[in-house]
Amino acid sequence: MGQIILGVGDYGASNRPGEEVKTFALGSCVSVILLDPKTRTVGMVHVALPESTINKAKSLEKPGYFVDTGIPALLVEMAKFGCNPKGKGMVVKLCGGANVMDTNDTFQIGKRNGLAVKKILWKYGMGAVAEDLGGNFSRTVTVSVDTGEIILSSPGRSNWKL
Amino acid sequence: MTEKISHEEIQKVIKSVPLLSPSANQLLQATTDPDHDQGDIVQIVKLDATLTARVLKIVNSAAIGLINEITSLERAISYLGERLVVGIAVGDCAAQLFDKELKGYEGEHGDLWRHDLRTAIASREIATLSNLKINPDLAFTAGLLHDIGKSLISDYLQGTASEVLSKIENEEYGDYLTAEEELIGIDHPRAGYELALAWKLPEAITEAIRFHHTPAEAREDLRELVYAVHLGDNIAMLGGCGTGADSMHYKLDPNYSQYIELKSEELARVMLTVDVEFNKLERSFSAAGDSNQ
Ligand SMILES: [Fe+2]
Ligand SMILES: [Fe+2]
Repeated sequence: MGQIILGVGDYGASNRPGEEVKTFALGSCVSVILLDPKTRTVGMVHVALPESTINKAKSLEKPGYFVDTGIPALLVEMAKFGCNPKGKGMVVKLCGGANVMDTNDTFQIGKRNGLAVKKILWKYGMGAVAEDLGGNFSRTVTVSVDTGEIILSSPGRSNWKL
Repeated sequence: MTEKISHEEIQKVIKSVPLLSPSANQLLQATTDPDHDQGDIVQIVKLDATLTARVLKIVNSAAIGLINEITSLERAISYLGERLVVGIAVGDCAAQLFDKELKGYEGEHGDLWRHDLRTAIASREIATLSNLKINPDLAFTAGLLHDIGKSLISDYLQGTASEVLSKIENEEYGDYLTAEEELIGIDHPRAGYELALAWKLPEAITEAIRFHHTPAEAREDLRELVYAVHLGDNIAMLGGCGTGADSMHYKLDPNYSQYIELKSEELARVMLTVDVEFNKLERSFSAAGDSNQ
């Protein structure tokens, strides 16, 4: 069974039967998962930081690293699979965005990532139907192309579904 | 069921761990001296044939991608930088510890080394922020060694992770340190501290190992450094690079702001640099083939 493994700042999509789209160890990063029922395509981007303004060069080299460039890049990628380029009809699910314990405002990177994702999605008229954001644990995410089922795992915890 | 580790037992564990080589020790000493220069580093490496060979092998590895081979040690060290050379020396001696699969934390093989390397880079980046007087090379080394205690106590914590996590959620334990202390009578910073004493590590590094989760308790003159490692550790964990179930189950001491000024935009930049540098460094380390992977 094929797997598409996405690292930090990567995005990708698949419509191949039996394949899985996977990303490891989301800490404060957020995984945005787009499921397109019409074309049976699964897309995912692993964003690390909210704004590309802090490093334009990096956002050109790796648009998936930032929320504001990563989500548009994923939509362009999914359009290659015949999906609507504005995300119409897609199902959105979110996970990640963890924080450390007793964190202060500056270190709430996970929370800022989650908020930034929702803001961009809102511009496209999209909203998440399911989310598992926050908390203080890392998440590994696996999405099945066949069923759209999302399995989350974290060391010391039993797997759960999103 | 876990049992408390007695003082004798932890000393026995420490005795079973190889000592740092004399050259690794001297390199660590040199980084703590603000007046040291590259010549001092070259002198130390030169006297250690194995280390010299390793440094040359790494600088000429495919990952570094030089067109012309470097044969002089001086040039190799100046190309790789002091941090990487110290990392190679310490990493080789303590490979057994860095490489350990942390079963007690449900960590995977290589997690500790990756977490330590990320913490080292992040601590160094924090240390270079303009308002600080911390030696960045020292911050790097302290970051590299901060969690070494986990290797010593991990086996004793086997099978406890899921219970610890639920007890932290129920607020029965304040954080993972409390859990370690409650379950086996010693937490990983103190185990690391005992090892640092046995290894006769420089005081600054010893202090950073001992107080990296409780930096307010560090000696006043070393507190800036210890806070830098504290933040570096948190940045590594936020980057998804922890050592298993304990990741992010520690408290961030917000009083760091008394020592280190850090705006959220600066933190974002540090996190980005850490990602980029980590990928580069990890490639160099694994390039030598038989290294700490
Ligand atoms: Fe620690
Ligand atoms: Fe750590």
